Order: sequence, then C-alpha cells, then structure tokens
Amino acid sequence: MTGEPIEALKNGVQVMISSLRQNPQAIETAFISIITFDSSARQVVPLTDLASFQMVDIKASGTTSLGEALKLVSNCIDNEVAKTTQEQKGDWKPLVFIMTDGIPTDDWQSGLEEFKKRKTAYTVACAAGSGADSNLLKQITENVVSLDTADSQSIAKFFSWVSASIGVTSTKVEDAGQEVTGLSELPPPPSELNIVT
Amino acid sequence: MPEIGNVKEQVTELFRKHHVEVPQDRKDLFNAFIRDNNTVAAIQAISELENLLMANWKQQDRIATIKGQSVRITNASVGKQYEAKLDFEQLGWTDLAQWKFEGLEETGLTFEEEQKLISGKPALSGEVPLRFLFKLEGQAEDEPFNEKVITLTINPDPKSLWKNLVSDKDDPYWKEDDITVFEPLGDKYILASSKRGRSHANEGSFREDDFAFKSLENGWSIVAVSDGAGSARFSRKGSDIACRSIVQYFTEEDAVKSLQEFDQILAQLKAKAAPDSPGKLNHFVYNTLGKAALTVHKKLEDFASKARHSLKELSCTLIFTLFKKYESGYAFLSFGVGDCPIAVLNKDLSEVKLLNWIDVGEFGGGTRFITMPEIFRNEKFATRFSFKEIEDFSCLMLMSDGIYDPKFVVEANLEDVTKWKEFLEDLNGRNDSGVKVELDPGNKDIVQQFSAWMDFWSTGNHDDRTLAIVF
Repeated sequence: MTGEPIEALKNGVQVMISSLRQNPQAIETAFISIITFDSSARQVVPLTDLASFQMVDIKASGTTSLGEALKLVSNCIDNEVAKTTQEQKGDWKPLVFIMTDGIPTDDWQSGLEEFKKRKTAYTVACAAGSGADSNLLKQITENVVSLDTADSQSIAKFFSWVSASIGVTSTKVEDAGQEVTGLSELPPPPSELNIVT
Repeated sequence: MPEIGNVKEQVTELFRKHHVEVPQDRKDLFNAFIRDNNTVAAIQAISELENLLMANWKQQDRIATIKGQSVRITNASVGKQYEAKLDFEQLGWTDLAQWKFEGLEETGLTFEEEQKLISGKPALSGEVPLRFLFKLEGQAEDEPFNEKVITLTINPDPKSLWKNLVSDKDDPYWKEDDITVFEPLGDKYILASSKRGRSHANEGSFREDDFAFKSLENGWSIVAVSDGAGSARFSRKGSDIACRSIVQYFTEEDAVKSLQEFDQILAQLKAKAAPDSPGKLNHFVYNTLGKAALTVHKKLEDFASKARHSLKELSCTLIFTLFKKYESGYAFLSFGVGDCPIAVLNKDLSEVKLLNWIDVGEFGGGTRFITMPEIFRNEKFATRFSFKEIEDFSCLMLMSDGIYDPKFVVEANLEDVTKWKEFLEDLNGRNDSGVKVELDPGNKDIVQQFSAWMDFWSTGNHDDRTLAIVF
C-alpha cells in the first residue's frame, strides 16, 4: 500500500483515535495496537491505552506478508492481553481489524492456523480496492467488507464505521463477555462498504 | 589579508569558470594582477560573501531539519497534573540559543524556559498545535524567531463526557434507573441498592441488574441478586423475572413444606441421631435448591416463548441465599450461577465465608447465566449449592460484578477477610469522596447515605451496581 491509500489510512486512524477520545467508555478502557505488514510484519505501536496513544508514521511497500501478520497478532494477543486468574483481572477480548489491498505473498494459511487458536470478540477484514481478494479474507473471518476503490473517501468511511463499531461493541463485550457474532450486531456500514457474503 | 597563494588559486578558479586562459605572454601581467591591492580586496570580499552565504545556508538547513523533526510529547489529560520536559540533548538541540512556546496559555499549561518544562493542569481538551519558537546560536538578535509546530494531545476528562440520559418509561420492560431500600428482614435488616451503570446512563438504556428479598414463613428469609447480560436485548426483564420468581417459589406451599423438612434434617444432624444425616442434608440442599433454580429457568423459558423472545435475549445471572436463625446459629442455603459473589462475615469480623463460587471466564466479563440450559446438565451443577452454618453474623452480602469488579478486582481477594474489612471501612466513609453509610437500623438517613455511596467513582468500571447487605 503506497500513495493515496496509505495516506488515507493514516488519516483514518488519526480521525478514529480522535473520535474514540470523545467516547468516555473508550477513553477509560480501550487499548490500541497497530501492526503493519508488507515484506514483513511489524508491531509499530504496542498495546497502548487510548489516552496515551500517539500515532506513528505508517509505511507499507512491497509484498503482502499477511501470514506473518496473523502470527504476529496472535503472539501479541498472548503477550499483551491479560487473562483472568485468581490474582489477575483479565482484559476484555480483543477486537481485530485487518485491512489489506493485496493478495498475501507468504504462507498465510499457517498464520491463519495460529490466529484461529486465539479468541477475539470479533475480527473484521476489509478488502481495500480491486487488488484484494475478499473471498480469501472470508477464510479468516465471517465479517468481511470490501471497498471498490482504495481512495481517501472510502477509507475514511471505513474508519468512521470502525470507530462506531468499537463504541457499540465495547459496551456489549464488556457488559457480559458475550460474543458479538456478526456484522448484524454492528452499526450499519456506509454505502462505500460492501458486505461480502 | 588573504595570502598570495590563495588569491592566485581563487583568481585562477574564477578565470576557469569564465573560460579565460592566460597565455604565456600574459603571465607577468597575471602575476601583477593578483598582487594588485584591488584584486586582493575583491577576492577577500568574495571569500567573505561566500562564507556568509554558506553559513546562511547551513543555518537554514539546520532550521529546516529542526522544523521537520518528529517531536513527541506525552499526552495530557484535562484536570490532571501534567509535566513534560523537552530533552534538548536527546533531541540534538544543543545549538539553540533562545526558545519559547506560544499557544500554551489557552490550554492552562505553562512553559519554564530555563527548565524546558511544560507543566500545569490542562483545562481544555483537543489536539493543540503548540508553536515552539526558537533561534539558533549565531542568529542575529533582530532576526525573527523560527517556528515549529508541536502537537499536544489533551484528552478530555471522561467524567465530563458521560451523559446521564433517562431510560424510556414507556418501554414494556422498563425499571427504575436507581433504587435503594431499607427494611427489616427476618430478625435482621436489609439495605439494598441497585443502580444503573454509567455505560447505560450514557445511552439512556436500562438498568439490567435486579434484586429481591422477602421474609418467608417458618423463620426463613431470602435475598436474591441478578445481573442481566449487557449483550442480551431483554436481560433487564430476565433479571427481574429471575429475582421475583425465586422469591415466589419459596412462598409456595411445596417449598414451604420442604423447608420445614430441613428443620428435622438439621436437628438430626446436630443430634448426630442418624448416621446418614450429612448425606440427607446434601440431598435436601441439592433437591430443594436445584428445583428452585430449575423453576426459575423454566419461568424464563416460558416468558421467552410467550413474548416471542429467544431465551438468550433474557440472559442473566442469579445468586440467592436463604437464611434462618436456629438455636445453634444461622443456617445459610445458597445457589449461584454467574459472577456475583455471596459472602457472610462472622460477628467479630475475623472470618469470611463465601457461599458460592463465581463463574469467571478467561477474558473480562465472561460468565454463565441461569438462562443457559447446559448449566443444569453440567457435572459442576451440584457444586453450585451450599449449606453453611454460622453462630452469628455481622453482615451477609450479595453483590453484582458492578460492585465486585471495582472493590475486589480479583477472585483471590474475596477469600481475604482483610479485604472485606477494608470494604466495610469504605462503606463507613474511608473512600475518595468521604461518603459514609452508618449501618445502624436507627439511622434515619441510611437510604440516602447508601444511595450516595453507591455512586462512587471508579475509572473503567461503569457497569450496573447492585449490593444487598443483611445486618
């Protein structure tokens, strides 16, 4: 991802963070981490509470190491998301958003196997533009949306929908730890987002 | 004065740039030319201008570098003391001669130039573009400051963002947002409160917790608490049905009779009259309370099918305790499904007994509900019941996770009597807002005091809260 899409993505994340900062529940409880993947996957922001979060420069060029990214997010969940024990209060289940504009160039199936072993409240994958394969993403999660074009307007809409989804579901997840099973429980997506069925 | 060698070099260079060659027969003239005072002075002037030009460029390049440098300063929060030091060494800003900030005033922060320290309590939230003004060493006094924008993120105070919207009274399953009561219960008193959490108040949605209690026949009393699942659409109705139907169950003839039977079983156990009395007692607890719990489940199932809801939409936890005073002491019969604890503290507060175990999942909020049919089929079902005897007690407490989470945090703390003592001290006024509840039946303000205490502030804990104290 380069050029307009990556700029739009950075902008989208920034807008999302600002809007979440206006949500009292999110500001008291939400933590955010960012993983980028191109020729390799990197956690560019470790799990950070919303109030302390600072945006970093995101760069992505070259290939699409989706498998490595799925492995990395699995490791990060293991290391950074606390589980309930007698002496420790567990975190809420993580929400995972994946956005890609390309076809994976690595052994993504093995990454997926790892990822499937982790529990998430839900995972949403977004195929941005015609270069991505939404049917492939369907194998990662039931919840796949696609953008016809990876332009700044569509990407901005995706992120404002993500912010709204975090707002809604953090309440649901938090209240009872119940699974939010599908997109039907999230706010209605904007017209730029096609739900892949 | 530049040396003659330098002058020659520079003039030669100049000539080369202008494609001027000095032929053999002009060598003498050239030598005289470079020795001419005017030439020497001109070369010196050129050198000086060049040096000035280069220094200017270097300075501008440096300024551009500083302007483009990414500088992160820690985010601030409205109302919270803030301090951030600009580490010039680390930033590589040792060549700065003067510096100041503009744009800080509006935020309520100040900048100490000497200390390079931003501090204070921010009053306004937002992404604030701070103008960092600086001059480099070597910049003239009358030159304007260079400007670099450093963005400071100031988080709003979440307290100011929470809204308190009333719930829709016309909703068929509406219940009061907040309720606090104080009444006699058996030979004791009960102080109970159930309050809608901030997350629900913020959206104008409903309180999903509930409680119920009653003095029953034959000396028994019952207290029940239920926590409706936030993700279930009608859990407020579920918790209502669960609490009311368990109390109802124990007022019906069958249950009254069966509790009478308990008197004999207990007497036999005490007198060690029959060798099988411990087994009998276990059986009794399992059968009586098991039937009661199943009845609640069935009531919820019936309601769901009549109202055309799915049972899952009524998801709620349920804890209840029956207690009765015998000559030998108090007997407690309890049941629990979900993450709401029941505890009883003995008279001198030296011991706490937990009357149930709580269902907590691997992740936050994970629990089980009375609406789940698998609860009744699970091998652990029998362990959900308990019988405990205590000579006398100072208080019996039933609470939803809205109280347990902020006040006890983890399961291990529930077993620690010192944590319970702290909890009682907290009720007695040892808390951030200094709100005190005097647990005395003669206290005329007990309801208001308790209601105020229930509103304690706890960051990140915004669930419904229910606490019932029998004392």
